[in-house]
Amino acid sequence: MNGGAATLVLERIGAGVLAIAREAGGIGVLCGRVVRSLVPPALDARELKLHLYKMGVRSVPIVVLTAFFTGGIMLIQSGIFVRRFGAYGLLGWGVGYAVFREIGPILIALMFSGRVGANNTAELGTMTVTEQIDGLRALAIDPIRYLLVPRVLAMMIMLFCLTLIGDLVAILGGAIMGKLLLGVDFWTFYNSFADNLKTQDLAHGLWKSIAFGGIIALSSCHFGVSVRGGAVGVGRAVNAAVVAAAVGIMLLDYFLTYLLP
Amino acid sequence: MRPDRPAKRLLFGTPWGVSAISLHFELARRIAAQTARGALRGRREPGELVRQMYQIGNRSLLFVAVTLGFIGMVLVYQTCLQVNRITGDLSQVGGEIVKILTHEFGPTLTAMMLATRVGAGIAAEIGSMMVTEQVDALRMCGVEPIEYLIVPRFLASLAMTGILTVFGVAVALALGTLTAYASFHVNPHIFLDFDRVRFGDLVTGILKCIAYGAAIPLVSGHCGLMARGGSEGVGQATTRAVIASSFVVIVLDFGLAGLSYFLLQQP
Repeated sequence: MNGGAATLVLERIGAGVLAIAREAGGIGVLCGRVVRSLVPPALDARELKLHLYKMGVRSVPIVVLTAFFTGGIMLIQSGIFVRRFGAYGLLGWGVGYAVFREIGPILIALMFSGRVGANNTAELGTMTVTEQIDGLRALAIDPIRYLLVPRVLAMMIMLFCLTLIGDLVAILGGAIMGKLLLGVDFWTFYNSFADNLKTQDLAHGLWKSIAFGGIIALSSCHFGVSVRGGAVGVGRAVNAAVVAAAVGIMLLDYFLTYLLP
Repeated sequence: MRPDRPAKRLLFGTPWGVSAISLHFELARRIAAQTARGALRGRREPGELVRQMYQIGNRSLLFVAVTLGFIGMVLVYQTCLQVNRITGDLSQVGGEIVKILTHEFGPTLTAMMLATRVGAGIAAEIGSMMVTEQVDALRMCGVEPIEYLIVPRFLASLAMTGILTVFGVAVALALGTLTAYASFHVNPHIFLDFDRVRFGDLVTGILKCIAYGAAIPLVSGHCGLMARGGSEGVGQATTRAVIASSFVVIVLDFGLAGLSYFLLQQP
């Protein structure tokens, strides 16, 4: 009986590892195919523009709101240190460093994954269960080139732009909250920010955002086109896609932190 | 997909938007009221609570461990890098990391992860029940869907968010200590300095866990119950649940951090 239980546990661990390997492999293969179809660069420009608008421009409000609150939260956290040591000159640096390098790209990527990535999985999943993708194939249109490549490119470009906007809004949010909560005026904030931060810090976060855009796009497309089983399947695929994107973001963040200056 | 003219959109969109928002608020109010009533007293489906706790808690363990582990490593690495550049005294870093994980990053980032996993899961499940008319079938059998579907998830999430946060912070600290030791040669005994965590930090962390744990199932259950129309509707509901519950977590964090800054964190 004891041996049976142990086998069961091993079996379940093995099944879990296999499932993870299958999805990771699927994302890897999809990445290869997307890169392969970019080699003679043939792009559906209209489709790309549509997705740039739908994924990027329409996400601006949620990103701006998130970034504003993020700036406020970081200000409160730095405020705790600043009040303890009385070092008001370090406030802008504290907020800027945290926002530019880590918190800004990560939180904006998570929101982007929720809004755009999940939406993309739902859209592709619906197309898959209603057999529209097979329809495309029957018309001799390559679904990867027509459907996936513009989405992947649009997400990478737009997450970069949104992170740039979000970083600036977060700093602005930090400055406004600093004025309201701690009574630190804008010049003190700006000076500490401008004196201690380099372009490198901003670039560090922006490089990360491009990579995050790629992993969000690939995981959402992968789970979207491999949906099985109607409405229930679509819901489950969206769930799996956002989870995979979150794990991917954290993994990439870790490695890029070491690799980038 | 060209945007309509703004004036036209405002003219025709506003009444529609107002009615849609008021509908949302009505449903949200009903969900909150009935969940509160059902959580306090009400018939419980035997075993349902345990099943939901397993779904929300145990099934998220690996996800929380992986994400929070990497966050812990990155947090320690970036902080040490910056402190090295400015003062070079790394003995203080550990205590501050423990403190900030307790009252800020531990609860909030765990909740962001749960908003993604649990929020999407709840909305997908309830949304598919909605579009396949299982929720209507429940109502026809005289079962109140909110009490039957949302109350067990609410209670399970309330309990499990706290437990997962403790677990996530432990993983983040363990890996962070390793990073500090491997990359910057900080002694683990010096790094793991729990003396700086004060009562106020602990209270803030616990309050945040409770608030997030309550908000995520309510918001995503609401999104699930609003699902209409086939697989597209389920996808939309799930998307909306992820966004709405992540955003609620950030707003709650801002509010609670501000509150605790003024009330509890006296220097």
